[in-house]
Amino acid sequence: MAEYFGAAVADIFNTMEQRFIPEGTKGVDTVIGYNVSGEGGGYWRVTIKDGAIKVEKLDAAPTGCAVVLNAKAETFVGVTLGKMDAGEALASGNLKVDGDITILITVLPKAFNKFTPIVKARTIVETMKERFRPDKAEGVAMKLGYDLAGEGGGKWTIAVKDKTCILKEGLDSDCSVVLKMTAQTFVDLNTGKLDGATAFTSGQVKIDGDIGAAGNSAKLFAKFDTGEEKAKGEELISLKCLPAINQRYATGPIMGKWFAGLKEKKLYATRCPSCGRVQTPPREICADCRVRSEEFVEVGPNATVTLVDIVHYASPDPLTGKIRETPYAALFVVMDGAGKDQSFSHFLNPKDFSRIKAGLKVRPVWAKERTGNYEDLLCFEIDD
Amino acid sequence: MSTHKKNRHVGIVGIGQTEYSSHKEHQNQAEMVNEAVRNALADAKITLDDIDCVVHGNMELFEMVHQPDMWHSLGSGAYGKDEFRITTGGTTGSSLVCTADSLVASGMYDVVMAIGLEKLQEGHTTGGITNMADPLWFRHLQTGALTATTATLMIEEFGEERAKKAAMKYRILMDKHACLNPRAHRRFGLEYDQMDDLMNTSPRLVGELRLSHMCSQSDGACAVIFASEEKAKKLCKNPVWVRDHITVHREETFNNFGIERPETTHHYAARKLFERNGIKNPVDYFDVFEMYDPSAWWGLDWLRDFFLLKNDEHLKMLERGDFDLDGKIPINPSGGVIASNPIGATALLRPAEAALQIRGDAGPQQIKKEVRHALASGFGGTLWTVLIMLEKYLDW
Repeated sequence: MAEYFGAAVADIFNTMEQRFIPEGTKGVDTVIGYNVSGEGGGYWRVTIKDGAIKVEKLDAAPTGCAVVLNAKAETFVGVTLGKMDAGEALASGNLKVDGDITILITVLPKAFNKFTPIVKARTIVETMKERFRPDKAEGVAMKLGYDLAGEGGGKWTIAVKDKTCILKEGLDSDCSVVLKMTAQTFVDLNTGKLDGATAFTSGQVKIDGDIGAAGNSAKLFAKFDTGEEKAKGEELISLKCLPAINQRYATGPIMGKWFAGLKEKKLYATRCPSCGRVQTPPREICADCRVRSEEFVEVGPNATVTLVDIVHYASPDPLTGKIRETPYAALFVVMDGAGKDQSFSHFLNPKDFSRIKAGLKVRPVWAKERTGNYEDLLCFEIDD
Repeated sequence: MSTHKKNRHVGIVGIGQTEYSSHKEHQNQAEMVNEAVRNALADAKITLDDIDCVVHGNMELFEMVHQPDMWHSLGSGAYGKDEFRITTGGTTGSSLVCTADSLVASGMYDVVMAIGLEKLQEGHTTGGITNMADPLWFRHLQTGALTATTATLMIEEFGEERAKKAAMKYRILMDKHACLNPRAHRRFGLEYDQMDDLMNTSPRLVGELRLSHMCSQSDGACAVIFASEEKAKKLCKNPVWVRDHITVHREETFNNFGIERPETTHHYAARKLFERNGIKNPVDYFDVFEMYDPSAWWGLDWLRDFFLLKNDEHLKMLERGDFDLDGKIPINPSGGVIASNPIGATALLRPAEAALQIRGDAGPQQIKKEVRHALASGFGGTLWTVLIMLEKYLDW
């Protein structure tokens, strides 16, 4: 089975049910498809409904899903393990999402405990070469055999001589010592889950050959790094904090008039006494002419659309701190009676998403209760 | 218009950068500043004792540190020296250059070090940029620097197929350049045959602005040392000369998307700057342009403004490879802002990379033919332009 970053794609799906958090998915009813290409890949479908999960391995590309995630096996494992940045995988096209991407952002983090790769005996043996410490091997010449039974097991010979270390598949006939155990016992010993002395005395490890050599071999290799140790001993700590600051902004008399106008369903602009341009919202100064604009004119209430931005990226509204519902549309309009070069922006009524385009006329939609706030003007909608 | 008279010439004598990445958890902000400062001092072969004044710049409150220059003095070496803090948003880096150049040109200081930095990982970039909008109106609408207005206008003008292809070709060209730059943050290895796929399947941020088009959020720092002509010639075999710069911005509202559109700040800045320097054809004159391109759509569209081009001339230039590293006027050999964007340093990186091109020290992304005249730009919200001209020789 092909592995990437010490994990196979199937491991991620096979552990999904045990990593599932039922209480994190209350009210969720969705189907997520996976199309993982390359060695070790395949098709999967994950159904989450009423706090229950069903994981299916499929023979063909998943259908009937709210969202399908497409990635190469390496990218899929890398992103799952946090070894590769999801945003960068998306930006580079290595990870593709068909359908509602928000499910991945909103549902998945709450639905599963993090996947950690299952440590395999082979990984531990294969890292012995890089964990070899030549400085401790002065004058040492030995052949260490491993005979690991059961799932994930195998036979290996590690030859140490002249301060070098060679790893071979299979057992050489002239091993100084052969250690026999199950692959699981070997993994547990190396990941600190099983104490060495206990393993020997309880007979879980059998030693065939030179017991002294077996004992001495431990110091020749640095400890296997499970990744957990590093996280615990790390001195590079990130401090986390969430500042929340109450702010109040004075409007001044010009913008004050604008907000007061909203209460009466009126939209006010200022007219520059010098160049005559009519600005919305009203501006204290005409920046072109550098003169005070104090003459108010009522504009609108209808307007002409000049540009439409349909926003899919969910960002926080800094005025409330809440993540915005997406998609939403921001309109650029020219209010009736305002200068042709003067655009004004506000939200579009979501019901008009599919029909909106430049050149259409729109009308304001007012809140029932108006308090002199930007929320008094709910949005614009197509005027037909 | 003022004459921009300089009392004396100013040369760039030292350039230092960190690598750019999404995370720099191995160092704090002051340590990251110091890495760039050490590299710049080593490049100039001087010590902190030779620096008369420091100008420091990053995005105001992106990392929620009110006086970052004080904390960073541990890394900048500014303690006991004159120091100014510059925080003009996206243009911070280029404002640092304008400030350092002015301070030296005036005769106030002989050697000034400009430091730009950002650790975007330590704050919220889109949230931070959103706060630039007028809190009384517009802030509730704003989504950081994300907008598809340019994409919409380009599609309207050039047709959907050609516009989308061109924007993605520009994106892939920037990635090809970034792949050469060992310091660049995002190096994807994109190929032109992925154009159709990416332009249709990359997740949408806003309208036709897709994730692949948009700039990165990076951590990193850059330091550039400026010296008076006399000092520069003593310190350095090949100082790069700061010829001129211009800063243009508009009133802080989004009122320029009406039925009639005013001249853009980019076009205005380029027109004024080239006019007063007697440059008739910028495409012929300049050998490289390091442009502040926050997205592929903006970068491509803005080339028309900066080079004073008409109609689809910029698209034609892109389509025939004029902006490639070996093209007529290479754009962003560094990979530009789409590849690396530590915001407070981003606009300083543009003249820094352009100066390295002039010196011939740009490394793997060095332009093969001689680079004598370089243009660098800075951009920030809302519609704020800085243009900087660099020269190899004092011969203008």
